[in-house]
Amino acid sequence: MKALVTSNLTKFYGQTRGIEEVTLTVDQGEIFGFIGPNGAGKTTTIRTLMGLIRPTGGEAFIFDTPLPGGGGDLYRQVGYLPGEVNYYPEMTGREMIDYAARFYDAVDKKWVGELFERLQFDPSRRIRTYSTGNRKKLGVIQALLHKPRLAVLDEPTSGLDPLIKQEFFHLLQEMNNNGMTIFFSTHVLEEIERICHRVGVIKEGRLIQVAPLEELPGRQMKLITLRLAGGHPPDALPRRWSRFEPVEGKPGFFQLSVQAPANEITAHLSHLDLEYVKITDPSIEDLFLAMYGPEKGDGHVS
Amino acid sequence: MSVNIFRAELTFNRRSFLIWAGIIILMLAVYLPFFPYMDSPDYAKLLEGFPDSIKDAMNLSDITFSDINYYYADMVMQYILLLASIYAAMLAGCLISREADLNTAEFLFTRPITRNRIALSKATVLLLLVTLLWVVLYVVAVALGSLTAPGDFDVISQLLVHLSGLLATLATGGIAFAVAPFINTVQGTTSLGVGLGFGFFIIATLSKMTSKLAFLKYFNIYYYAGLREAVSREPFTAGLLVLLSVFLLGVALSIFFLNRKEFTG
Repeated sequence: MKALVTSNLTKFYGQTRGIEEVTLTVDQGEIFGFIGPNGAGKTTTIRTLMGLIRPTGGEAFIFDTPLPGGGGDLYRQVGYLPGEVNYYPEMTGREMIDYAARFYDAVDKKWVGELFERLQFDPSRRIRTYSTGNRKKLGVIQALLHKPRLAVLDEPTSGLDPLIKQEFFHLLQEMNNNGMTIFFSTHVLEEIERICHRVGVIKEGRLIQVAPLEELPGRQMKLITLRLAGGHPPDALPRRWSRFEPVEGKPGFFQLSVQAPANEITAHLSHLDLEYVKITDPSIEDLFLAMYGPEKGDGHVS
Repeated sequence: MSVNIFRAELTFNRRSFLIWAGIIILMLAVYLPFFPYMDSPDYAKLLEGFPDSIKDAMNLSDITFSDINYYYADMVMQYILLLASIYAAMLAGCLISREADLNTAEFLFTRPITRNRIALSKATVLLLLVTLLWVVLYVVAVALGSLTAPGDFDVISQLLVHLSGLLATLATGGIAFAVAPFINTVQGTTSLGVGLGFGFFIIATLSKMTSKLAFLKYFNIYYYAGLREAVSREPFTAGLLVLLSVFLLGVALSIFFLNRKEFTG
């Protein structure tokens, strides 16, 4: 049994494209990252899976149960965290969690207490007084309190501070080790690298790639920032390395994205009279540009 | 039905219930003790100068002022019914539209519960709060009526009047419940409530002013309540069944529309 299957899932809002023919499969116990630029269709896909919107074509299954007709009881096994967390402002955090818990059978109160503690959440205040981060924590707790078999998380870490984010990933990892499947969308490549087994990339409503992260085009890309002694441009490099661009606002600094093995990069750089050098992983935007940008195919992104 | 949603909705709506019940009781407490002054010959003389159509439109017939039961059912009840209908329509609208307005739909409609059960739970809250309002109004009316005209205030006929009022209010709530899935703000439901309440009130007034507009009474929920018949202990049974049907149909339509509604955030 698959945790999640979509087959040609399509949603149009009148003439406006939401998603088109999205076909993917998520195995049980898998952590699946769903990435794409803003407006690509991530949230539309997730909302369709959660029965909030109806597909105009195709079909979807959660644990072999078809959507949307299979709503209701099916969601007993699913924990959902929306991208923007909104609850009843007059309730306290605890009242909200109690309300959410009563939709499920015998929620373990000790576990809920542990979630409060690990995410450092104060449930005694009214929701209208919570900051964005605290609302997000409340959202995470309500999504995980019933120990779902499948967690569907839409941008789960936005608004969380770095320490809580760290704890959140530990929590997800532990729950995944205990069998929970995770489907989550994000903009942050580091998060995908950290926990995802596979990644689905969506662009302009179409799923364009599903692969383990290391197999994504551009994954081997590195961003090099350097400054040579005297601030001269780095011209003593191979032709395909000659596209260094000046860094705006930092005189004498140059930058280049290159897809090459680490030893090749260090070998080339060793010939230069370097004053400063930094080699970093690409951002998710860089990856997108590498895959679909104007210079796709020549291994260069600037 | 979901007891969980039912309980939560009761909590959410208790404050507005207390405010509206307080306002309506206050109005009842101001109007009902006025009966002895209305029953005076001077007032009857004053009314003689009014054109018949105006008197009909405002329920100012002779019988209204000679019997506290008719005075209450004809005069006081039209304002109670107006306010209670506005409350019921606003409550019904708010029960449904609040989820879209607060963006809590993403929480509620992704729980392991069908939209049918969610809507039925909310309809039960509407039924309970509106019924409770009319029970409270009945108790207050009996107490004040007995003090105002000891021995004359007929508790049985007034029970029928209140029952008719309850059904008319529920019918208005049912209409608002059916429309609410199309409204995405709580503010919008306030306009809906006020519009429905005053709309029926104006239709009722117009339909009594001239025979040319008499047909309008069939588009007026208050007509089907048959308050004059109820106070005579001969309730307008067919009308009451229409009101009950409107409420049930409203709930059914709301469920239908809610099942087709999309929450795009």
